[in-house]
Parts: sequence; C-alpha cells; structure tokens
Amino acid sequence: MKKAGKLFSYMGILVICFLFGFCWQDIQKWKAPSSRALGTLFGVKSASAATPEEEFQHAYTQILTDYVKPVDKSDLKYAGMEGLMASLGDPHTMFMRPKLAEAFSDETRANFGGVGARLTSDALGAKIAVVFDDGPAYSAGIRGGNIVTAVDGKSVAGRDIDDIVSMIKGKEGTLVHLTVIQAGKQKPVAITVKRARITAPTVESKYFADSQVGYLSIASFSEPTAAQFDHELAKLEAHPMKGLVIDLRENPGGLLETAVDMLSRFFENKLVVKMKFRDGHEESAKTYPGVLHEFAYPIAALMNEDSASAAEIYAGCLHDYGRAKLVGTHSYGKASVQNVFPLVDRSSAKITIAKYFLPVTPFFGRKVDEYGAYTSGGLEPDLKVELSTGTEVTFGDPKSDNQLQKAIQLVNPQSPAIAAN
Amino acid sequence: MSTTTKSVLSATGVIAAIATVVVGLEARQHADLGLIQAPSSNMSIDRLLASRTDDVNVPAGDYFYNLSQKLKEQYVEPVSDDQKLASGAVRGMIGSLKDPQSLYMDKNQFTAFVNARQGQFEGIGADFDLVTGKSNAQAEAANEDPGPGATAEDTMVMVRDIPRLQVVSVVPGGPADKAKVQVGDIAYSIDGHWIVDSKLIQKFRTAQKAFIAKKMPLSELNIIRNEIRAKADHAMLPLRGRDLLFMGKTGTVTVVWERGGKQITTKITKAPSHLPGFGVHNGAILLPFVPSSAKSLKQEIEGKSAVTLDLRNNTLGDLASMKQCLEVLVPKGNYGDFVTFRHESPTPLVVHNGNSKPPKITLITDKSTRGIAEIFALALSSRGYASLTGESTGGDRDNRSIVKLPDGSGYTLVTSVYKPKLGSTAVARKGGAK
Repeated sequence: MKKAGKLFSYMGILVICFLFGFCWQDIQKWKAPSSRALGTLFGVKSASAATPEEEFQHAYTQILTDYVKPVDKSDLKYAGMEGLMASLGDPHTMFMRPKLAEAFSDETRANFGGVGARLTSDALGAKIAVVFDDGPAYSAGIRGGNIVTAVDGKSVAGRDIDDIVSMIKGKEGTLVHLTVIQAGKQKPVAITVKRARITAPTVESKYFADSQVGYLSIASFSEPTAAQFDHELAKLEAHPMKGLVIDLRENPGGLLETAVDMLSRFFENKLVVKMKFRDGHEESAKTYPGVLHEFAYPIAALMNEDSASAAEIYAGCLHDYGRAKLVGTHSYGKASVQNVFPLVDRSSAKITIAKYFLPVTPFFGRKVDEYGAYTSGGLEPDLKVELSTGTEVTFGDPKSDNQLQKAIQLVNPQSPAIAAN
Repeated sequence: MSTTTKSVLSATGVIAAIATVVVGLEARQHADLGLIQAPSSNMSIDRLLASRTDDVNVPAGDYFYNLSQKLKEQYVEPVSDDQKLASGAVRGMIGSLKDPQSLYMDKNQFTAFVNARQGQFEGIGADFDLVTGKSNAQAEAANEDPGPGATAEDTMVMVRDIPRLQVVSVVPGGPADKAKVQVGDIAYSIDGHWIVDSKLIQKFRTAQKAFIAKKMPLSELNIIRNEIRAKADHAMLPLRGRDLLFMGKTGTVTVVWERGGKQITTKITKAPSHLPGFGVHNGAILLPFVPSSAKSLKQEIEGKSAVTLDLRNNTLGDLASMKQCLEVLVPKGNYGDFVTFRHESPTPLVVHNGNSKPPKITLITDKSTRGIAEIFALALSSRGYASLTGESTGGDRDNRSIVKLPDGSGYTLVTSVYKPKLGSTAVARKGGAK
C-alpha cells in the first residue's frame, strides 16, 4: 500500500516535470499555453467547424488536388503566406520567399560576393555603369563604359539585366569569366575576375567649381554609409564650399541606426524619431554626442516620391531642426518601422511593428485612394520643383537636372545661372 | 536499503525528472513546430544549424498558424479578425494561379456573383470576362491579382499581358442594354480612369528596345513615356473596373468602350435588373441552368417532337442543373469528357437514364453562350442530337468549382475543361473557337 503510494507520487513528479518542460516557453513569457498546443498534447482537434487554419488548409488542399493544372506545393504555400500578410492592407507588411529574403539581406548589408561594378542594360549584354575603386573588376582592368557580352561562356545579349547580375554574383573567392568589349580594342577580350566581398558605395560626391557647391548623393542608408559620407564630405571640403546639396532622390531608406549616426554630425542629443508600438509603449531615437561636424554653409536636400523611410527621417530632421531646406517634390510617406523575422526555411516575415513621428512635422504616413494612387502624406518640400519632362535628365548633372539647379541656387544665390535646356 | 542503492535510486530519479522535462520541451516543439527562429533565444547550436538547411519543409497548415500568431503578436495595430487572414491567404493562393477564370471575390463581389447566377444582376446589368484576345490557355499569365495596396503602375511593371475587360452578356432591358452596350465591347475607361492594358506598355517596351539599339530618337520614346505617365496617374486595374460595372444599385458611370476599333462613350445609371427565367418566347424555350429548370423543361417538351432552346445571355450556368436538363432531353450515353492537364484520366459527361425518345432539338446560340451553356450546346451537337443556329458560342468551356468561405467571400476554381466527342469536328467548330 505504502509502496503504491510512493509510486504514484513519483509518477506525479514526472508528470509535473513533463508539463514544466512543455509549458517552459509560456512560463518564460508568463502567459497561458495556447489552446492549439494543448490540443496537440491531448490529441484534441479544435471544436469549431472551421478555424481560420482549417479554412486555409481546405482551400490549399482543394487547389492542389482539383485545379485543372498541376500546382507546385511550395509555390502555393508561399503564395498563401503572401496573401495572409497582404490581407492587413499594409504594403510594408509582407512575406518574403527564400530568394527575396536573401536579396533583401544583401541589400541592407550592401555587401555580397561580386566583382565590384554596377551594370545597366545594353543591347549587347550589360554595360558597366560604375566600377568601384579597389574592387576586383577594377584590378582586372574593367572600366566604366565597357560592355559585358558573355558570362562564363554564355552569351548574355538580350538577357534581363537582373539575370546578368545574378550570373556574375557568386560565392566569394570563386572565378567568373567575362567577355568584355573595351574602348579602342578590335575584338572582345576575355577577362577572369575573382569574386570578392563587395562593399557597394552608397555615397557619391561631386564638386561644382563654378558655383562652389558640393553635391553628395546618398543612394541608401546601409551599414557603411555613414563612414562613406564622412569620407566624401572630407573630399568636398578640400575645396571652398559656399553650399551643399544632399541628394536623397530615389533613396528607399535603409537602416535607422545609420540615419541617426549621420544626423549626429549635425546636432547632439536631439530627438530623431519617436516610435509608437502597438502596446502603447514608445521608444525614441536620439542623436549622440562626439561626432559633431561644423557645416559652415547652407544645405539643401533633394527629394522625390521615391525618397522613403530612413531617407525621410533624415530629411525630416534636417528640416525640423532648421539645418536644411527641402527641394523637389513630396516624399513617399513611409512613416512606419518594420522588423524582419527570419523563418526556418530561409524565408522571412517583414512586419510593421511601430509608427514613426518626427520632432516637429506631424505624422506623415502615406494615404492612397481606392485605386492605390497617392492622395496625401510624405514630407512637403520647402521649394517645390517638378523634374522637367521631355528631356533626358541625368541626376547630379547640373546641366540637365533642373531640381539640382534650383537647389544649387538656393544654397548659393550668387552661383552663375545655368541656361535651362 | 544501503546508502549506495539509495543514492543510485535518487540519482536515477533526478535523471528521470530531467529527461521528462526535456521530453516535455520536445513535445512542445513538435506542437508549435518552431517556425519562427529566435536568434536571441538559447537554442542549441545543432538546432540553429539544422534550421539553416534548405530542405526544411514546414507543412502549410502549421506555416499558416505560426505566421498568423506572429502577426498578432507583433503588428502595430491589433489583429482581431482571424478570418480575414485566412481569406487573405486564399486570395493569395488563387491569385498565384494567374487564371482569369479562377478568381477570389470578397464578400460583396461574391454576393453579386452568386445573385447573378440566379439571374439577379446589379451594376449596369451585364456579365464580364477578362480576356486577352488569345485562347484561355495563353491567357494564363494575364490575371495577376497584386493584392490590396498595389497601384496600377506596380501592375504594369509586373505583368506582361494584362487581360481586358469584355462584356460577355447583356441583360435584356437592363441599364447596359438601354445604353446600347453590346456583347464583345471592351471597357477602355470608367469615369476617366483608364483601364490598364498591356498594348501601350508593350509599345513602350518595343520603343525602349529600339532606343537602346539607337534606332529611335529619344524624343519619340518620351512621347510614349509621357502618354503612359499621364494615363497611369488615373488608371485602374481590370478587376476593379469589373467591380464598378458589376456591382452597386445606384450611381451613374461614364464608360468608354472599344468596339471594332472605335471608341463609344456611354453614360449609364446603375439599377437592379434580371434575366428572364425559364419560359417560352416566340416559340423558343429560354433555358437558364438553375436547379428548377429540368423540371420545367420536362413539362414543356412533353409530347413534342421538336423543340427550340434559346441559350443566349447564358454565361453563369450551374453544371448539376445542366446535367439534369440533359437527362430530360437525350438518351443515356457518354457526351464528351472533362479533361485536365494533370495526367489524370478524363471524367466523362454521362447521361445515366436519359430520354429514349429525344425530340429534334434546335439551339439558338451566340457569343453570350458561354461556360456551362456552351458545354451543353457542344454535348448535344457533337452527338448529333441538336443543330445550332445563330452565331458561334463564346469560347469558354471551363468547368469551375464555386466555394464560399466562412466570412462570406468566396472563389471560383477551374477544375477541368470540356472536350466534345471526337468525329464531329464540323459541328464542334461551329460551336465556338477557343
């Protein structure tokens, strides 16, 4: 009798141990275990006729078995996940399939295994638009304007530029064989390049001697951007400076940390953004002391509807603290912050977790009508200048870029007027 | 008991307890599947490494559950409507088929669709289809549902071949009929909003290539570019255009149609309208394929040696009701096949009991004879039980499942395509080219 009692109490302890293990993650979070998990434990199916999960599962199975054509299981699953995330009506909350997720992480890191060049499309293949200093392509003798006609023996004429780029990219340390047309050479030459980890420049600078205005174009806010900004700014400040134009057009944003870092050159211990989360709690980002830079000249920031996110925060703060005038057209209006949650199959979920508020400018989130067309939102420019249409505009070229012309005149009214063409 | 035995026993007990905790942890992992990686948690290295391989295959249902949970925990606004998430996932899956005949519809759209199947129309009183001017099979890449929030411009970049919104039937006496809208008309713009179509985009792409190859001056390219820009500012997708014309009982829309290369502008006030039900008009039996039709048809043909059936404006028929009508009209047998592209054997269209003394049947068809009605016409004519008069049929022989979801939304899914019996090509050709 006594033995049986002891046995029961041992069993009881083991049951408690099991439940402790089972509920460990709930204990950590201090909440009740989900009914779904308990259901699995006790082998119970959810009672209600169609849970959302079952509704989904039913449609998934029906499409796989009944659709008139064969459907790829994993494609269908991912399409479902995309639809699930899109159902919130927030264009920034999205599911990213494995390939897209990798491209996204490439972009935010701004480094990948490549040859160190930027390509544009060309009828014969891909044209080298920019060669990065110190990159392997540069060392191998490839220069801007060269045309890549074949990659690893395969002709790339007529292929999509994205395809060509992904053929050239690859594992660091591996070789890629390019066939290249170079100026002054009769025949295409074969050039072998060893792929390396590439840090793509996100900041480019130009100095306009006639107006004595510096120009910094920031393509995105990624990890190396702040250091590149300092480097390019120092190059500009070797010249006499009457003003600075920071070009944020087409800048889709990037890392908030980088924007904060770069704003810390302008002001110390100042609010950059306040983020309001769904549980009501707020977090704010502030500039930090110690990296202040003296900008002894007026500054203008160029923006357009494709300036978004971190670029808007950067421009908005420069504007709110009176450090720069905004020139161009209204910005995109991306006033929310996303977190990327990696999933086990290399895909990931990008979810809007908070809304941004600038120091002075009221909430600037983009609003669209029922057709998805812009109605309001984004930062309003101090000086509204539409990009001229009808002529080919090259950004950063004061001869053809009329938004840049206005910005130059704003920071240095004495600058010689450029005949608009 | 000796001390040694005691300590061995207690050690065993501790080990058993720890083991049980681990078993509990594992059981929970299996219950939740741990889809979401938590880089900050103290997962063992093994597990993290294992999760970095490509062959992780999380079942779809678990994937859905975990992702829904993650959204509910993290999204900036409270997510209370679970059903919306499920319907969104279904919308995503149906949209990925890129099939203009397999469509997800929200609650209002689905209600309007179901009512139209009963002959009760709203909007301008017409039925529409998304067509590419090619066959159904070629049209597959056409219908991209980019999801909410996507702009017409996004879609223009995404989609190479956008379908056009075409009138496939007009309710007699309804608002569209009064405005002289015709079957075959293509909607070009609604209330000044251009309905995106791929012709202009293809024109631009061709021009762009010509420009890159230095065969076209920039000024010419810019003319096309500016035309697209101006239109894209007020553009809408074909599916949205369909909603505007197919739904609503009040309001006026100005629609520009394309008809035979010309543009025709109409101003139409929306109002409820309905197709006449089963009945005899001018000696022909109007035969909608709704559940009560077979019974009425049986009474109507009783004792007659010849009948004429009118299948015009018949685009949304119901397969089961159509089969019952076949039973009433023709002898038992096999009337063609429903085929798939899935390497399955075809499912025959079978009349089980049938009518051993079929009447001589004449069918009146035109382009507004589509879907189930077209299959009916082909089934009869291919076996020689009916002769066709009028124009050829619309060219839609898809058999579709119609599914209603718990939140009132729903979808159609093409499950097979009808193929008439062989050896009757002449008749089949008359029954509409696909």
